[in-house]
Amino acid sequence: VDCSAPACAEELVALRGAYLDAQLRGERREALALIVERGLGRGFGVDELRRCVLAEAQREVGQLWQQNAISVAQEHLATAISQVALAHLYDRAPLVPRNGKRVVFACVEGELHEFPARLAADALDLAGFDVRYLGASVPSVHLAELLRSDGVDLLGLSVTMAFNLDALRRTIPLVRAASPTLAIAAGGDACIGQDALLKSLGVTLTAATAEQLVTGARRLLGVESS
Amino acid sequence: MTDSHVAGAPALDPALLALSREFRLELDAGGVITCADPVAERALGAAPGMRFTRLCVPGTEAKAEALMQHARRGVVRDWELGLTVSSVPATVLCSALPRGDGVQLLGVALPSQYGGAIEQLNASMDEVVRLNRDLSRQRKDLAQKHDELSRAYRDLDDSNRGVVSLHAELAERNQTLRRASDVKTRLVANVSHEFRTPLHTILGLSRLLMDGADEPLSQEQHKQVRFIRTAAEELSQLVNDLLDLSKAESGKAILRPEGFDARDFIAALRGMLRPLASRPDVALVFEDVDPALRLETDHGKLSQIARNLISNALKFTERGEVRVGLRAEGPDVVLSVEDTGVGIDEAHFALIFEEFGQIEGPLQRAQKGTGLGLPLARRLAEMLGGTLRVESTLGTGSLFTARFPRVHPEVREFSALEARSLDPARAPVLVVEDDRKTIFIYEKFLAMAGFQVVPARDTQSARRLLAELRPAAIVLDIMLDGESSWSFLSELKQDPRTADIPVLVVTVTSREQKARALGADEFWLKPVDQDRLLRKLRSLQLRGATSKVLVIDDDERARYLIKRFLDKSPYTVIEADSGQAGVAAARAVQPSVILLDFLLQDVTAFDVLDELKADPRTRHIPVVIVTSHALDDEQRERLASHAEAVLSKENLSRELAINRIRDALVKAGVGAGAQEPRGATGAPSQPVRQEVPR
Repeated sequence: VDCSAPACAEELVALRGAYLDAQLRGERREALALIVERGLGRGFGVDELRRCVLAEAQREVGQLWQQNAISVAQEHLATAISQVALAHLYDRAPLVPRNGKRVVFACVEGELHEFPARLAADALDLAGFDVRYLGASVPSVHLAELLRSDGVDLLGLSVTMAFNLDALRRTIPLVRAASPTLAIAAGGDACIGQDALLKSLGVTLTAATAEQLVTGARRLLGVESS
Repeated sequence: MTDSHVAGAPALDPALLALSREFRLELDAGGVITCADPVAERALGAAPGMRFTRLCVPGTEAKAEALMQHARRGVVRDWELGLTVSSVPATVLCSALPRGDGVQLLGVALPSQYGGAIEQLNASMDEVVRLNRDLSRQRKDLAQKHDELSRAYRDLDDSNRGVVSLHAELAERNQTLRRASDVKTRLVANVSHEFRTPLHTILGLSRLLMDGADEPLSQEQHKQVRFIRTAAEELSQLVNDLLDLSKAESGKAILRPEGFDARDFIAALRGMLRPLASRPDVALVFEDVDPALRLETDHGKLSQIARNLISNALKFTERGEVRVGLRAEGPDVVLSVEDTGVGIDEAHFALIFEEFGQIEGPLQRAQKGTGLGLPLARRLAEMLGGTLRVESTLGTGSLFTARFPRVHPEVREFSALEARSLDPARAPVLVVEDDRKTIFIYEKFLAMAGFQVVPARDTQSARRLLAELRPAAIVLDIMLDGESSWSFLSELKQDPRTADIPVLVVTVTSREQKARALGADEFWLKPVDQDRLLRKLRSLQLRGATSKVLVIDDDERARYLIKRFLDKSPYTVIEADSGQAGVAAARAVQPSVILLDFLLQDVTAFDVLDELKADPRTRHIPVVIVTSHALDDEQRERLASHAEAVLSKENLSRELAINRIRDALVKAGVGAGAQEPRGATGAPSQPVRQEVPR
C-alpha cells in the first residue's frame, strides 16, 4: 500500500494498512481503536490522521472496488467506519477560535460520494471557519436559493464522479446569478485535471486536498492562520 | 437459471422470462457486442454492434474494460459492474470467460432493493454524522463558553480578592480611626473632669469671697475676684459643652422627651436670654408662637439648641436684630434664629459645624466662643430626629433653622406600642424599662420568640399593669430613670401572687448605673452645685429626716466647700476622710444623707455602699455618689442572687436575650413550654412558639 502524500510518516503508513484491514473486515471497534489509540494516543494530530489514514484508506477502498477486490457492500461498510472515525477525530480536535467567515459546503446534484466533502468541511470547520454542511446531492436550485439569502463568504462544491461535472456546469451559473460576488471553491476527484473547465466556470479556488482548501480559503478570505 | 443450462429443463414461459435478471452477451476482441439475449436487449438496451462500455454507468467504464481484459485470459467470476438497468444505475454481478478472440459474459442484476437499501443506510448515516457534528460543535462551543466564563470568573475572583483586601484595609483604618476617636472622647471626658475639680474650687471660693462671708472685700478686690469668677465661668462653660458633645457623640446622652407648650418654652427662653442681649443696637425679638402648638420632645435639648443658636447670633451681630421663631410645619416644628450680623461665606458652611471650626475675622476674634456651640446644636437636633441648617449672606446676616418632628419618633412609636391591645396568641412579657430604644429592641427579639412586650416605663405603671395581667415573665431594668427598682423587685418576690413570675434583671455596666444598682440614690458630677445640694436636702427634710450631712471624701478642698455651702443652712456637716471612717460615722451619727466620693484612697465606693446597705442601721440612708473622674470598668454583678437572670445591656444580643428569657421560663415552668405536656418541652434552643400540631 502506497501513500501518495510524501509527508506521511512511516508509522502512519503502517497504521493505515492496519486500519484498512480492519475496515474491510468490518471491524468497526478495532478500526476506531487504531485511530484513537495508535493515532491520537501516540501524539499524531487530527489533521495528519485525517489526511494520511482516513482519506488515503478511502481512496484505496475505491481502487479495490475498481479492481473488483471488494464488493459495493464492503465499500459502503468501509466508508461508514471512516465516517464514524472522522466523527471521533472531529470531537477530539482542539478548540480553535472562530474566524467569523461563513462557508457553505455541498456535493453537487447527483453526487452521492459524500466522504471527500465531509473531510473538506471538517478541515475548514476545525480551522475556525463557520461551516454549514449540506451533504450529498444538493439540488442546484435549492442551493442557489439558500445562497441568495445567506451572508456566506465561500461556497464549497464537491464532485467525485466525472459524470457529475455536468451538474457542476449547471450549478455554478445558477449560484452566480443568485450571488454574483460569492467566492466558489470546487474540488474532488472529478476536478483533477479539469483546470480549464473550472476556470471557464468562474471557480475562484481549486484544491486537491482538504489542507490545500483550508490554506486557499484563508488566503482568499484574508484570514490569519490560527 | 435458464433452460439452456440444464438438459431437459422445461422451456420457460415468456411471461416468466420477462422477470429474469440474468442476461447473456458475447463480445468481440474490441469490446463490441456481437450477440445479446432477450433479457439483455430488454433490460440493458443492448444490441449487436454496440460497445459494451456504453451500458456502463458513466464513470465506471474502466472497471468494465478491466473485466474484458481479465476475461480474455481466463475465467472471471462475480465481477461487480455499475450498469444502467431499465434506465436506473444498478450493480451487476458478471462472470465471463474467453470465447475465440472475444468474451462470453453472463450477468445478474442485483435486485434494486439491495442497492437502494445501501443508499438509504448511507443517507441515514450521513444524517447521523451531520447531527453528530452539530452536537459536537455545540459541545465545543459550550466548552469554550465555559472556559470564557471560567476566565471571567477568575478575573472576577481576582478583583474580588482585591476588593476584599481593600475592605480589610478600610476596616483596619476604620478601626484605627474609631480607636483614635474613642481615645479623643475619653481624653476629652477625662480632661474635662479633671478641669472641673479645680474649677469648682475656684468658682466656689470666689463666690465665698464675693459674698463677703469672711470679711468684705474692697471695691478693687471685688472687681478682681469678679474677673476671676467670669473667667472660671467661661472655662466651666467650655468644659460643659465639651462634655455634652462627647456624650452626644458617644451616644451616651439620654433622651428625655416630655410634653410642653411652645409658648411656655419661648417664654422661658426669653427670660433666660434677655440678659445676654447687652448691645444697645441689637434687638432680641421673639416672634409670637401659636398658643395651641404643643411639643413632645426633649425640652432640655431643644432649649440647649435655642440657647446656643441665639447666643451665637448675638455674638456676631453688631446692629439690627436677632429674631427667634418657633412654628409648626406639617408634622415638624421649625426653630429659626435669624440675625443681621456678619454672615457666613457659603464656603464656610461646613466648617462652622465642626468642633472648634471657627472662622477667622475681626469680629470672630473679638468674640470669644467655645467653638462648640454649633456642632453641639447640630448633634442635639439630630438627637431630636431632625436637622440643623444654615443660610447666610456675607455681610447681611444668617438664618439657622432647626427642623425636627413635633412628636419625637421614639415617643410616637412607643405610644403605639403602649396603646396596642394584647394578642391572646402570644405570651405577654412585662418589660420595666425607662429607655424606649431598649424596649423596641426587646419588642423585636421577643416578638421573634413568640412573646409580646408589655412596656412599663416606671415601677408605678408596672404595678398597675400587674394588677390587670399576669405576664409570663418580667424583664426589669434595675436602674430606672429617677428610681431604683430594687424595692419593686423584693415586693414582687414577697407577694405570693407574683412571687413565681420569673424576673430578669437588666443592668448596664456603666459605673453610674452600677453604683446606683448598689444602692446609690444619686449620682452627681462634681462640682456639686450649691442649689442642687440644698434642694436635695430640703426634699429629704420633707421626709422627716434629721439634718446631718455626712461627707465622705479624701479631698480636703471638696469637704471644705460643701461645709461652707451649708454654713448658714440648718444642716450640720460631718466629715470623713476615708471610706472606713465614713462607714463608722454613718453608723454612729445616722446622717440624713451621705455624700460619697466615688474614688477613695482606701476602698472603693462599692465597698462603702455594700457595707452601708448591709447594715440595717445605715441601709435606709440615701447616698449620693460624687465623682470628678471617669472610672474603670470593674466588678461583676452582685445581683444574681436576687434575680432569675442578669442581662447586661451592653451585651444584649438577640440570641442572648431570647435564650436567657426562654431558659428562665422553662426553669419556672411557664411560657409556651408549659402549655405542652412536660417532657414534650423542646430543647432550650427550640423557639418556644413552635408547637407540634396534633
